[in-house]
Amino acid sequence: MNPTVEPITIALASIPNSGKTTLFNRLTGSSQSTGNWPGVSVEQKSGLFPLGEYSVTLIDLPGAYALSPVTEEEQVVRDYFLNSPPDIILNVLDAGNLQRGLGLTLQMAASALPMVVAVNMMDETRRRGITLDLRAMALHLGVPVIELSAKTGEGLPDLKDALYEVIKHPEKTRAPHISCPPLLEKAFFQITEAIGKSTIDTRLDHTFLAMRMLEAESQSQWTSNEKVAALTRKWQRRLKQSLHTSFPVVCAGCRFNAARGLAMEVLGGQPVIEDKLSRRLDHIFLHRFFGLPIFIMLMFLLFQGVYGLGAPLQEVLSVAFDRAGSWLSSQTMVLSLPAWLQSFLFDGIWQGVAVVTSFLPIIALFFFFMSVIEDSGYMARVAFLMDRLMHRLGLDGKAFISILLGYGCNVPAVMGTRILTSNYSRILTMLLIPFTLCTARLQIFVFLTAIFFTSTIAPWIILALYSCSFVAVILTGFMLKLFRIGGAPEPFIMEIPPYRFPTPRSVGLRSWYEMKDFLSRAAPLIIAGVLLVWLLSHMPTNVPPASAATWAGQLGQILAPVFQPLGIGWQETVALIFGFIAKEIVVGSLAVIYGGTDLVGLMSNHITPMQSLSFMIFCLLYTPCVATIAAIWTESRSLRITLISLVSGLAIAWLTSFIFYQSGLLFGFH
Amino acid sequence: MTRTQHIPVSALLAHSECIIHSLGSDDKTVQRLAQMGILPGTHLQIIRVAPLGGTIEVNDGQGQNFALRQQEVAAMSCEPVAMPLISELVAEGQTYMIRDIRGGKTFQLRMAAAGLQEGSLIQIRKAGVKPMQAHFVDTNKQISLGEGEAKKIIVEVINHESNS
Ligand SMILES: Nc1nc2c(ncn2[C@@H]2O[C@H](COP(=O)(O)OP(=O)(O)OP(=O)(O)O)[C@@H](O)[C@H]2O)c(=O)[nH]1
Ligand SMILES: [Mg+2]
Repeated sequence: MNPTVEPITIALASIPNSGKTTLFNRLTGSSQSTGNWPGVSVEQKSGLFPLGEYSVTLIDLPGAYALSPVTEEEQVVRDYFLNSPPDIILNVLDAGNLQRGLGLTLQMAASALPMVVAVNMMDETRRRGITLDLRAMALHLGVPVIELSAKTGEGLPDLKDALYEVIKHPEKTRAPHISCPPLLEKAFFQITEAIGKSTIDTRLDHTFLAMRMLEAESQSQWTSNEKVAALTRKWQRRLKQSLHTSFPVVCAGCRFNAARGLAMEVLGGQPVIEDKLSRRLDHIFLHRFFGLPIFIMLMFLLFQGVYGLGAPLQEVLSVAFDRAGSWLSSQTMVLSLPAWLQSFLFDGIWQGVAVVTSFLPIIALFFFFMSVIEDSGYMARVAFLMDRLMHRLGLDGKAFISILLGYGCNVPAVMGTRILTSNYSRILTMLLIPFTLCTARLQIFVFLTAIFFTSTIAPWIILALYSCSFVAVILTGFMLKLFRIGGAPEPFIMEIPPYRFPTPRSVGLRSWYEMKDFLSRAAPLIIAGVLLVWLLSHMPTNVPPASAATWAGQLGQILAPVFQPLGIGWQETVALIFGFIAKEIVVGSLAVIYGGTDLVGLMSNHITPMQSLSFMIFCLLYTPCVATIAAIWTESRSLRITLISLVSGLAIAWLTSFIFYQSGLLFGFH
Repeated sequence: MTRTQHIPVSALLAHSECIIHSLGSDDKTVQRLAQMGILPGTHLQIIRVAPLGGTIEVNDGQGQNFALRQQEVAAMSCEPVAMPLISELVAEGQTYMIRDIRGGKTFQLRMAAAGLQEGSLIQIRKAGVKPMQAHFVDTNKQISLGEGEAKKIIVEVINHESNS
């Protein structure tokens, strides 16, 4: 290949959890970018690295068991291979899970794209005393096979050499033939022939393409050639009639027959031994009686780790921002600016930047602990332990952690949904998280309950609000499941990897990238949201901010009839508008809106305890903050989902407050 | 005597083993299993049931263990090959070989003293009696086992057809 033309594209492909991302980080170091695959909230990562005189773009594909898709991830991988075949496939195999991995290897080898196989986790294999005959594998597959430990970096130079050789002398992979039932062979043959005669121009092997078309529901995506499509449909009907299992399952059978043979040859008859340490640890962590208490304890530690450590850091940042802000605003140069511009700069932009920054410590800590849990292998155990509970909501057990962490702060929790395995779980979970009672909301509740209730009752009110939040999460979960908002649930069949020691490198990198990602994607949206609310509460410029005459005040009065049945006055409505920025500023904005010095006195004169409860319920259930919305938008990449979240939050909040307040009135409270 | 059957959820106990004959009927699940190399002929061993039930951890002897829901396995048709003696799959009058006696050393010694050890052949002649009565096929003696004891004794189905 010619180095002066475009960069060479190498795609990392393997079954889940074989070390693709670890290898990706090894190879690309710091030059990587993430995004979403178009249309789905599946993370897409690509990075650049130099290889001799070439420049290589490495793509980290999601884990897939086969190119015949069951999950959306697999669909992404399949579409990627068919629509934009990479120059080289870098297939990663977990040496301790060879047979399952080889199933995909054999399928990809059939594409005829140049391929290099990296057999990863050799450090583990060595520790378990297993030796692999990789020469036999290379011979059989007809591609270079390199042994590797992505974690330690061992074997990396060999891998680079092999990739370099393949770039220099790209050779079509001659895939080992996998024998299939005669009827299938005939179908492949005929469609392959039709593709050959057609004008379809592809670097993929025609039989490979024929197989993918036979599996697909519609062929139009890859060919406009009606002849090929019609022939494929004809064979699909015929195969459906004559095979008693579906075609991809039959093919999997053939493939794994070959994979089993190959794995056996490579292992030289050694049995697959499981990791002894993992077995012992699972005896404790998944214990019938102790498993759950240990889990609860670890979750407590996790929560403390993220928020117990994060909150003081946030505090420090916020104080620093305030100080810097007041110092800046007292500079003569600033003071000479018109008042509205000063306010725009400090109450608008500065405030927006402060909101963004305040999330950084918890996002970093959140992903630090999450990577530890994920990389250590405990996350798979959590999914196993919690599956029964979460399954009812149509979620898998991992969603439990995301929702739980929402009780600290919704923003990292929503960002954390990317660790979930299916698009369905991701969407559902990120729609549920906004109903969790985050610490910012807690501040409002603590403040208000102290005003309106005695100190003996106040804690019970808070407890009731927590229960309300649980109920809201569960009921909304059922509703979303019923209405199939996130599509169809995917089957839950999950491999349980051995326990592994997380490397500081991968954990550190992860936190760093998530922070960077947050800054580049969610931060602009957050600042825009803050500015919007600033505009509402400061326009027109000739009235006091947030007063009745501002746009926000007017909006509050326009909305008054909507909120009147909830017992919420226009002042509180304006505070709710402020609450869109962040729940932390609701109390402060009430002070500005009421305009007096004695907020407590003013409020307790103005509002009844019933009304305060109704206000709190509304606060609990409506949109948590602009940052959460921004996170939902960047994670889901879907306007529909973001709108559903906004609207469902507002609707559920309104309805619940309405029912609460009106039934309160009925029972003679006021 | 081989029996292929749908194993009820209640019989999916830890240490049970079966050989898959067909993968069930839910298309997505079947395809997912197939893509993971879990196909007819695969030997499944149940490692454990989740503390809350519903989900089980399974080994297929080909690599990593995996978790799936009990309904998924119950929908397959399988041939049971081993199970704890307490399992409802243990059939009246069928001969079983003791494969493993779990639990502490004392329990194993006590069982050994009673003649029950790995490789012994036993039969349950009458189901549903408590405590359970296990007959030794060779000596025709019998031993009575409590529920807790029967749980720890893993038996293997003996295939008569292939013997004779
Ligand atoms: N012992 C050992 N562990 C490794 C090695 N490479 C990766 N790991 C660990 O294997 C686990 C999975 O690695 P990832 O890089 O996340 O795997 P992946 O293929 O990207 O996984 P998916 O994105 O889920 O498909 C992590 O805990 C890694 O730390 C290795 O060479 N040796
Ligand atoms: Mg990955």
